[in-house]
Amino acid sequence: VGRRSSAAPPAERPGERRAAEMKKLYGQDAAKIMAMEAAMQLVFDRNCDLKQPKYWPVIPLKL
Amino acid sequence: QSGWLHSGPQLWLRCVHRQVRVTAGKQREEHRGWLLTVDPVSHSVALVSFGEDGASVQVVLGHAVEHVEVLQEPDPDTEEQLRSLFQPPEPGGPDP
Amino acid sequence: SIPTSAAAESDPQQLQEEQHARSVLRERFLRCLLAMSNKKVRFHMHEKVNVEATFGASDIDVLNFQVSDLHTPIGVQKEALIRSQDVISFTFDV
Repeated sequence: VGRRSSAAPPAERPGERRAAEMKKLYGQDAAKIMAMEAAMQLVFDRNCDLKQPKYWPVIPLKL
Repeated sequence: QSGWLHSGPQLWLRCVHRQVRVTAGKQREEHRGWLLTVDPVSHSVALVSFGEDGASVQVVLGHAVEHVEVLQEPDPDTEEQLRSLFQPPEPGGPDP
Repeated sequence: SIPTSAAAESDPQQLQEEQHARSVLRERFLRCLLAMSNKKVRFHMHEKVNVEATFGASDIDVLNFQVSDLHTPIGVQKEALIRSQDVISFTFDV
């Protein structure tokens, strides 16, 4: 189950690369947006680990 | 859609709180409401409607948005209701 | 993959305004998603499929919605993931 849109190879230091991208997009608000996103993703990941939801419908309606 | 999509964050922000009509999906369904926000990541459009017992929020997914048309400015009461919806009242919100 | 406008590339003032606008819009959207947790949400999907569920969370890329008590046309699924690509719109009351 692929839950993340992009998985950068570890060699690229995804954290740093992402921080630079966020800075470019959100400027001085980058840290705030990243913190909000991290909190939200954490809840999503935790819920998925805890509840093990399965995709519905099993086959995508729209490919 | 391309016009709206490419107009960018500054124009989207200027449209916040205005009444808009969003056409969505292959069936070209129309959704009308006060613009809460446009997600700059997914291009999803969030609309608010006020009913007798509260408000409802409708989010049209970015991939389904066909067309967005701005209809009118909010009246002061609607504007106030929209402001108090999710945002804590603080400086740095959308400019009027 | 969010493009910055051509004007913003060359003008620092313009870039800052664009970044500010983007951040206000994104924060409002994230707050909207956060406000949905534990609320009943109605999903209007492709192929005229309409379902209701209790919202849990969305991933930050808005690709998947994690929901509980999903009422499908053939019964209730206790825990589910809905692909945003399958969804045209969704609605909840505040």
